[in-house]
Amino acid sequence: MPKDRDDTRPDSVSRRRFLGATASTAALPLMGAAAASQASAQALPPPDPQAPLDMRLTVNGEAYRLGLDVRTTLLDAMRDHIGLTGSKKGCDHGQCGACTVLVDGRRTLACLTLAVAVQDRAVTTIEGLARADGPLHPMQQAFVDHDAFQCGYCTPGQIMSAIGCVKEGHADTDDAIREYMSGNICRCAAYPNIVAAVRQAKTQMEG
Amino acid sequence: MVDAAAPAPKANMGDPVPRYDARAKVTGSALYASDVALPDVAYAFLLSSAIAKGRIKSFDLREARALPGVLDILTHENIGEAIRKVKFFTEGGPASNSILPLGSAEIAYGGQTIAVVLANTYEVARDAAHRVKVDYEVDRPTATFESPGAVDQELATQNKKHDDPKVGDFAAAYATAPVKIDVAYSTPAQHHNPIELFATQCGWNGSQLTVHEPSQNVYGLKNGLATQLGIEPSQVRVVSPFIGGAFGSKGALTQRTALVAIAARKLGRPVKLVPTREQGFTVATYRAETKHRIKLGATRDGKLQALSHDGFEVTSRPDPYAVAGTDASTRMYACPNITSNVTIVRADRSTPGFMRAPAETPYFFALESAMDELAVALAMDPVELRRLNDTMKEPIKSLPYTSRTLMPCFDQASEAFGWSKRNPQPGSMRDGDWLIGWGCATSAYPTQMAPATARVSLFPDGTARVEAASHEIGNGIYTVAGQTAAERLGVPVGKVQVLMGDTDLPPAPVSGGSISTASVCSAVAQACDAIRAKLGDNGTGAVPTVDLVATLKERGLGSVQEYAEWMPHGAAKGGMQMLYKGAAQPIGGAKLPDRIQFAFGAQFVEVRVHARTREIRVPRIVGAFASGRIMNTRTAHSQYMGGMIWGIGSALHEKTEIDANAARYVNTNLADYLVPVNADVVDVQVIMVPEEDTLVNPLGIKGIGEIGIVGTSAAIANAIYHATGQRLRDLPLRIDSLVEAA
Repeated sequence: MPKDRDDTRPDSVSRRRFLGATASTAALPLMGAAAASQASAQALPPPDPQAPLDMRLTVNGEAYRLGLDVRTTLLDAMRDHIGLTGSKKGCDHGQCGACTVLVDGRRTLACLTLAVAVQDRAVTTIEGLARADGPLHPMQQAFVDHDAFQCGYCTPGQIMSAIGCVKEGHADTDDAIREYMSGNICRCAAYPNIVAAVRQAKTQMEG
Repeated sequence: MVDAAAPAPKANMGDPVPRYDARAKVTGSALYASDVALPDVAYAFLLSSAIAKGRIKSFDLREARALPGVLDILTHENIGEAIRKVKFFTEGGPASNSILPLGSAEIAYGGQTIAVVLANTYEVARDAAHRVKVDYEVDRPTATFESPGAVDQELATQNKKHDDPKVGDFAAAYATAPVKIDVAYSTPAQHHNPIELFATQCGWNGSQLTVHEPSQNVYGLKNGLATQLGIEPSQVRVVSPFIGGAFGSKGALTQRTALVAIAARKLGRPVKLVPTREQGFTVATYRAETKHRIKLGATRDGKLQALSHDGFEVTSRPDPYAVAGTDASTRMYACPNITSNVTIVRADRSTPGFMRAPAETPYFFALESAMDELAVALAMDPVELRRLNDTMKEPIKSLPYTSRTLMPCFDQASEAFGWSKRNPQPGSMRDGDWLIGWGCATSAYPTQMAPATARVSLFPDGTARVEAASHEIGNGIYTVAGQTAAERLGVPVGKVQVLMGDTDLPPAPVSGGSISTASVCSAVAQACDAIRAKLGDNGTGAVPTVDLVATLKERGLGSVQEYAEWMPHGAAKGGMQMLYKGAAQPIGGAKLPDRIQFAFGAQFVEVRVHARTREIRVPRIVGAFASGRIMNTRTAHSQYMGGMIWGIGSALHEKTEIDANAARYVNTNLADYLVPVNADVVDVQVIMVPEEDTLVNPLGIKGIGEIGIVGTSAAIANAIYHATGQRLRDLPLRIDSLVEAA
């Protein structure tokens, strides 16, 4: 069963540093753009369906308050408005897995999740696994050790999915890993190395 | 620790150093083009043509423009400035096709970009794009081979550089050959589908334009875009430090870049475009569908006497694109009488382009399937058929191979696979409900290079820096360029900084044709050797004979920096100037006047075909490859393995479906365009066969990014024949192929 997000990292993230790096540079300009959208709306007669909705997101233990179009996906909210670009957009249709994050510990496709739907739930992304200069999460280290990527674009989603896979208890055999990691496409086709990485990290995560 | 991902180096192989960019890639800190945060960015959404042929009568933009947050909508009617024409790349230019972006009302292919919607947010841009109404005048389009309106042209009449390989008297030799086959094959349209979408961000600072776009050729993009916009190349900077998969799809200048640049200039703020997965099928290029007819004639003991390979390839109306794999397929085996022909078939489609082993993937499916059919006709082991016809000289002009280690690859792979236990009788090997089949095929890929430059610096603190505008597409070029400098300068690899993917750096050629490692590492080594000479080391070996850092310190120098221009064998005079224009052509393979250079390999596949459902699985595949010097056995292993799995996808999964009436792609998403997933791949064994070839370049590097996919699909088809007795000649090979063939 899913555990809380702190289990997914080797040590806790410095929230002050995290805020300094992202929220002040990315979230605030967004409010400016949203305000501009609202201003032009006032010049036109029909009611403005794009009026920004005030919402709260909790990502990697950090709380964000954003004014977003209600149609904004969790993926776009993180990438375009919070400044967390580790989660990738590969299809926007839930078909490739590059956007996989953990929501309350469960793997979730951020491109198929509206930001407004995960308010007050704990979202963990690849950026939440290790401190900038600190030790890597066992799954990240296993991906390095086994060369479980080439171009690296699907990798954040693979790693988040792999952590979910282990926590779900779907990593007991290579066949199970292959099956339960098949929602994450790696076009460079590092699959055998991904299986080896999950196998290695499982031992460490459970040990 | 024994780790399949990091094989122990054998002779002429470098250490399996972990990737230079590994930490950045597993922490999410590697910034790809769409990750870069530009201040006050506006969002673009493309509108794609719903028809494949005809013209736009009118747009109704009113509803879209009325949407709050919409900033502008660019169409051919209002773009306000003509984008200047640049040459298509087979004419020596950078463009992926000859159609001017938003150049007119004419529609040349389905999915052509017809408008760019700009808005404050992505959500509004997408919403507005769906509210644009387009009134088309629709003409009946030509979809593919044999569609009404398809025009066949011999490639040689359309591309003056193409010359169909021929030797001897094929017709006479074939007529009298005691054993012969005459067979036809086909391969489908396929799309690269890198997981990174075809993003572009553009921002102007006064008259200076910065472009963030994943590119396999940043100098080509810079120069082509400058021409399109009528500005100086010095006004354009392209930044592309990480490319999220390319496979050929990100090598050319597509229509989108100039449109985003113009939009950013009009708005006076940066613009971000991330086309959808569906749009990616027509924003970039693809592998066109091909057909083949092969005739082989042999003596009763298996000596090839006659070989004919005719290829047919779909292309667009405006561009005579062709991969013309007969250049390679006619040169693999000793044979005195050879003929070949390539015909292009014009349809109302976007222009195809390079996709991993563009020529060899389809043409070797045909050749290596045909060789297996000949082996069956001769009742001969297919490995022995290759051995009997192995040659150290290509047969067309009798040019010598610089090296050719084909049969050692066959021998090592066949031993690892257990080929000697194979019962040649089709349908003879079975495990319960599963029919087991074993097949093999030859892999080969031309060894090409292009002019390249590098700047290398050595500092008194024992660090070094390598700068070259090459492209990290997953090939490991950061890592192997750093390793090259570390070895030649005698510093630890961890002390070498590598900067790439930026036109502010010295130019590197297009990262295509498996040329990057050979070209860029050669330039890096040359710059390192200049540093060594400057510091009193006149040795020519890989490792310096004096302590360079100590010498640098003794002389009280702040740094030593050298810039090198490296030219491959056979490069045209002026190649270096072309490199600076982003237009240096790869040279090598079968295109040299004095010799031929190829890498070789052999692949062995086990398939399991379910006796009742006809489901096809590939539980194991063994590939052995000899590609000259291996710089890093870890990154090389991954590239070979990735190529082989691409081969599995090419054989069993990948096909872009084309609507025969509408000439539009049907399965434009990753659920319907099938690619291999983890569960499709079980046991992949890569064997690196040592090979030394210092003729190809002083470091002896051949290039490995593409060879892994070549021949795989034939090996799988050959294995399916062995399992079932059914010969499948049309890719992809699926359950329905076996049912239809039964």
